[in-house]
Amino acid sequence: MRQREFEITIGPDGSVELQVKGYKGKRCLEAVKMFEQMVGGVQSQRLTDEYYDPEEEVQYRIEQRS
Amino acid sequence: MSGLTFRIDPKDWDGDPDDFMSCVCILTPVVIAAWPAFSAAVMAAATSLGYTLVEETKKVSEPAAQPKTANHIDLEIPQSELVMDTLNRDQRIAVARDGVTVTFARDARGKASLCVTGEGYSEAELRARGEELSQRLVQKYVYGRLMEEMRSRRFVVVEEETDENQAIRLKVRHWEN
Repeated sequence: MRQREFEITIGPDGSVELQVKGYKGKRCLEAVKMFEQMVGGVQSQRLTDEYYDPEEEVQYRIEQRS
Repeated sequence: MSGLTFRIDPKDWDGDPDDFMSCVCILTPVVIAAWPAFSAAVMAAATSLGYTLVEETKKVSEPAAQPKTANHIDLEIPQSELVMDTLNRDQRIAVARDGVTVTFARDARGKASLCVTGEGYSEAELRARGEELSQRLVQKYVYGRLMEEMRSRRFVVVEEETDENQAIRLKVRHWEN
């Protein structure tokens, strides 16, 4: 079973921001279409790639000893 | 002291990089509703902004009587369509706060319209009050519509909060094979 997650913010002015997580490639856009049918058309959209998220970064420091 | 720093990114993992894909978009809400859903959204919005119900009627009559000196302004909710049969076509609902009355109805083109009246208020003030209420109405309508869809699709709302700016934040999950 694969988990899908949606974060939806409905502003006091009626604006709707949707973040879709957990989909592979174009299936992400299919999920957006589902919300378009529920709420309304897409005004703007950007794809994110969470592997640039600093929280995913691991750093090692190796010190040379003389 | 010299040192060597290197970084391991998730892209170096063996997993499929598409697993990390997500997208963010802004949607423009469309209000397409029958009268019961629309009037429920009006009441939810009105209550959240401190308005109270004046009347809900299907009489073909003017909104609640206002002094002749009262200004009024007509607005419409863009991207809206009220779906009504002939019996309900003349439905209207009026709410009031601090001497300002806002009456919602369906206009001749089928859009949701509102008439804002108030004695001692300028047109700009009435416009601001009307826009605030109509925007809140759209928020409440979208919230109701989304919750209904989430239930019917068996999606699970795992978090829900209203922040200090009155924005509603939902976190929804579901699982697929």
